[in-house]
Amino acid sequence: MESMALPLLYLAFLSYMLGILAGAICVNKGQIGAVLTFGAAALGGGFGLLAAISFLGAHNLPTLNAELLPLSLPNVGLTIRLDSLSAFFTLIISVVGLALSIYSVGYARDFAMRKSVGVMGSLFNALLLATSIVFLADNAFSFVFVWEIMAAVSYLLISFEHEDSETRRAGIVFFVMSHIGTGCLILGFLLLFQASGSYSFSSFHNIGMSMASGPRDAAFLLFVIGFGVKAGIVPFHIWLPVAHPVAPSNVSALLSGVIIKTGIYGLTRVCFDFLGEPPLWWGVVILVMGTISALIGVLYALMEHDLKRLLAYHSIENIGIIWMGLGAALIFLTTHHPVLAALALIAGLYHTLNHAIFKALLFLGAGAVLHSTGLRNMEEMGGLVKRMPRTALYFLIGSVAISALPPLNGFVSEWLTYQALLQGFNATPSLARLLFPIGAALLALTGALAAACFVKAFAITFLAQPRSARAAQAHEVSKTMLAGMGMLSALCFGLGLFPAQFVAIFDSLTLQLTGCAISGQIGSDTVILSGLGENAETLAPLGIGIAAICLLPIPLALWWWFGRGAERRVGPTWDCGLRELTPRMEYTATGFSKPLRIIFRGIFRPHRALSSSFEFSRYFATTIRFETRVEETFEKRFYRPMQRLILVGSRRMRALQAGSLQAYLIYIFVTFLILLVVCL
Amino acid sequence: MTSPLLDIALQIAMTLVMAPLMSSIIRNWKAKLQNRRGSPPWQVYLDIAKFLRKDMVISEHASWVFASAPYVVFLTSLVAALMVPMIGVEAPLGMFGGALAFIGLLALGRFFLALGGLDPGSAFGGMGSSREMTLSSVAEPALMLSIFTLAIAAGSTSLSVMVHHAASQDWPLLNSVNLLAFAALFIVLLAETGRVPIDNPATHLELTMIHEAMIIEYSGRYLALLELGASIKQFALMSLVINLFFPHGLAVGEGSSVPLAVGALLVKLLFLAGVIVLVETVNAKLRLFRVPNLLAGAFVLAALALLSTFIFQ
Amino acid sequence: MTPMPVDPDFSSRIIMLLTTFVLVVQLMMVTQRTLVGNIHLFAVQSLLLCGVAGTIAWVHQATHVYFVLALMLVGKVIALPLFLIKLVRRIKINEELKPMFNSPVGMLLCGGFALLGHVVARPFAGRSPLINSTFGIAIALVLMGLFLMINRRTAINQVLALLCAENGLFLAAISLTTFGMPLVVELGIFFDLFVAVMVLGILVFRIRETFASIDVERLNQLKG
Repeated sequence: MESMALPLLYLAFLSYMLGILAGAICVNKGQIGAVLTFGAAALGGGFGLLAAISFLGAHNLPTLNAELLPLSLPNVGLTIRLDSLSAFFTLIISVVGLALSIYSVGYARDFAMRKSVGVMGSLFNALLLATSIVFLADNAFSFVFVWEIMAAVSYLLISFEHEDSETRRAGIVFFVMSHIGTGCLILGFLLLFQASGSYSFSSFHNIGMSMASGPRDAAFLLFVIGFGVKAGIVPFHIWLPVAHPVAPSNVSALLSGVIIKTGIYGLTRVCFDFLGEPPLWWGVVILVMGTISALIGVLYALMEHDLKRLLAYHSIENIGIIWMGLGAALIFLTTHHPVLAALALIAGLYHTLNHAIFKALLFLGAGAVLHSTGLRNMEEMGGLVKRMPRTALYFLIGSVAISALPPLNGFVSEWLTYQALLQGFNATPSLARLLFPIGAALLALTGALAAACFVKAFAITFLAQPRSARAAQAHEVSKTMLAGMGMLSALCFGLGLFPAQFVAIFDSLTLQLTGCAISGQIGSDTVILSGLGENAETLAPLGIGIAAICLLPIPLALWWWFGRGAERRVGPTWDCGLRELTPRMEYTATGFSKPLRIIFRGIFRPHRALSSSFEFSRYFATTIRFETRVEETFEKRFYRPMQRLILVGSRRMRALQAGSLQAYLIYIFVTFLILLVVCL
Repeated sequence: MTSPLLDIALQIAMTLVMAPLMSSIIRNWKAKLQNRRGSPPWQVYLDIAKFLRKDMVISEHASWVFASAPYVVFLTSLVAALMVPMIGVEAPLGMFGGALAFIGLLALGRFFLALGGLDPGSAFGGMGSSREMTLSSVAEPALMLSIFTLAIAAGSTSLSVMVHHAASQDWPLLNSVNLLAFAALFIVLLAETGRVPIDNPATHLELTMIHEAMIIEYSGRYLALLELGASIKQFALMSLVINLFFPHGLAVGEGSSVPLAVGALLVKLLFLAGVIVLVETVNAKLRLFRVPNLLAGAFVLAALALLSTFIFQ
Repeated sequence: MTPMPVDPDFSSRIIMLLTTFVLVVQLMMVTQRTLVGNIHLFAVQSLLLCGVAGTIAWVHQATHVYFVLALMLVGKVIALPLFLIKLVRRIKINEELKPMFNSPVGMLLCGGFALLGHVVARPFAGRSPLINSTFGIAIALVLMGLFLMINRRTAINQVLALLCAENGLFLAAISLTTFGMPLVVELGIFFDLFVAVMVLGILVFRIRETFASIDVERLNQLKG
């Protein structure tokens, strides 16, 4: 078994590369290009999945090393390393990539008329390849290298439909933020390099212990910013809701499901592998940032009526939940509770996988709606459940999963997070312990708001009457698209119903990062998942499901006993005596979230303008115009002033740019002189 | 307690019998307190039987989501009720989940109910769904924080362990942590069961209503299931609150008698119902946007309960 | 008074419950909008504090605490509230002024003050079980009283808030030194407070006559 993982990975890489090539060849071949490129990507995903499973399935395999490109240069070779953390993230990208590729075969038809599907497929494969290698890179040099390739390809895919000015702007925002992040990462790695004298990740292991606290803290903060930007954590999130929705939906799913998880991977790798035992405030920072992100993300999602932007905001929320788990794990490492740290880490990483799956599923659902109606604004949709029944079912499954409702997977990982937070109170000295229950309360608020948001998202999109002609003419999407969504839906059920078996794959991972394996304590051969300690709450989602099914005869018997003769008639919705209920009288997404907008107005600070004109009395207005808008507080209060500052600064700097060659030569010469003097 | 299956059957029977009784009695007592004669204390059974017999009218715009909601609401409430320790310290389905699963199941029922409210395209239903989801979101932190505070004292979120911990104290309520948590949970209980300062279960076709607006399009056996589900949810929440703070009379240990425990539960529930009736009678329904203030109050009470675990150690 | 054996555990439990109620009443005052309601709540709070003082006096058989208790009962539970209610009736205040912070924010801030009070009181913890449980709450009460003063803009409310802060001081005094402050000090504070309330009461009446409002914001019209 051991030797199988690497060859399988090579096969996956090979498939992706073939996909890139196929796309390049079939630039103008339409559907054939789609089948070839996405087929190759699906193949790659399948091989990657097998590789990850074969590695994680066999317990405690040693880390596998290999050199992809023999450059024979010190420190900068493109080497890869497969350990359990890498394997876990390979699992995420492979399984999501597989489902997305199947979906994309049908989805690409949307673009076949006006765009080159081959180019899209080619870039899609390139993104999968680059991201896979990000998870596997073995030294800082190759990590940053593929990290940048990943960013560049993401940029190309985000601005795939560059005819739209919104898309172009989104691409630029993404590019700028991404580079700020990468800059921080490079500085962080340089700090680590200073201590270890090598770029290889194995030399970075626990390097933090041999660093002075100043550089160590600086490195931590740089990595938090660098990986935080990629993950989309508040306050570095502003690019995410701009950039993810404008990409083609299969790419949005990949970006939101997997690419932002590279930030999680990086943070986990750095905090648990490189920097050694953390001081208390690191964990506190991560936990607090996570809590704030979760809340801010879901609150802004509630105000959003663009289906894809709504989903993008939910990514911010879920990244926040993941960070809560990681932050709790760091705090437990500080307080020397490795078992609890393992639990919190599992909670965070389990949620990472779950989020990848249901978020990809939801984006695919949104993509199917977009494909079928051309709409992204929820206020124009409605009634799609009758026109696209399977898509609606899959979207509903995703909605239940992301709202953390039992028995699906989102609930299980949030349950684990709650268990870690509960144990945290007694395991932490001083006032920091208060963070855990307060965090749990805010997580509960987040979960409930997410449920409210997805009631809105699902009901306004799929239920009641269609609100526009386009929605009324919707049709079910193709088989491949449904297959992709169906596969992810099945995974939502699988990971939700059988968590006790699944946690076993975290054993070698937690053993490596926190020093203990706990699947024996929290998981079991049966379906019952357990918290830590003999008194802990136990959870069996499968049991809940079976119990519900076993109880189903009760309502059926009641009906049979009393109401056998009762008829079931179809009639109009009650209309208060009006002649007819039109779609314009239905509740809108704006109306649905209005109470929450009022309650949380202190955070939203909504902009509203009401103007009316009248002839006789203002009580009989002839026209009324009401406008309401919620702007991102962070963007308004932090990024715009910053932008202005930079522009002003740049204008000043322009004086240096004389435009004459002599001047530039003088700059270079003077710099050279100064350096010489300084060095002497 | 002989076999687990018998336990489950007993609790199901008790829930199905006692849940409508509680709703009826609250209605009856409230009428008495307001100098009305009121409906008899078994009215809800009659109502449910009547709804079951009636024909159904389904909206032409509704889909399968509308039809599935009553079943989901009924089943989640019933499974949640089976996770609450009512007779003994161990709940019949306690192995399948504790406090968190309980909260999650109720949330699942609410999720589908809100979808069902929006499905027929009626503005009433939409308004009800919107308000229900809003208020339940604001109630959630107070609920979680008070449960967490109790769980910290008990060392687990397992309801059995929490009830056991309460039973090990002689008067749990004479302890400021529990007292504050009880106050917070009581407010949440009023919110979750749609009681007066938050929602009015007695109104129909008023713009103030929440739960009744959501189920406005339901009729016949769907309505029966929803009514039954709502009363089961109320019964489960009331039993949970009462057993967390008044564990007296639970069948603990050997030689305890089950009928006695059932009787004790009934007495305690009637007591809690009396308190609810009093609160409902002396208070007017709050304006919708005053309700978050009340729930924020519940949250602060829960936070004080948490603080008290420090202060009064 | 014959000395009776009192279970110290039982008495500390009672004190704990009473101080919890004191805190809850204080929170209710933050949310209560009507003036008369606030005055009633203040009376209830004072009564609860009397209960605390009574329990302490009983447990420690401290006779002079009974004296302070009686003073408190007459002054703060009966006389001052009656006076204030009469004042409210007389100047016919029926305006509900908006507080500076809305009530959820106010309550959350008060939760924060409770935490702060606990943090500040921690160095004193461990000296006696009484201090452990009440000193933090006493500090929190003082903070909340000051917060109430900032939060409300009517002069009478500010008087009330001052009285609440004094209630906190009272609790601090009886919890820190177990036998209460020296009687003279307590008497002095009490007398000061009484005079202050009287003066403020007359002042409020004047403000009302001059500005037809008791919103202290309007006092800034006095500057030249």
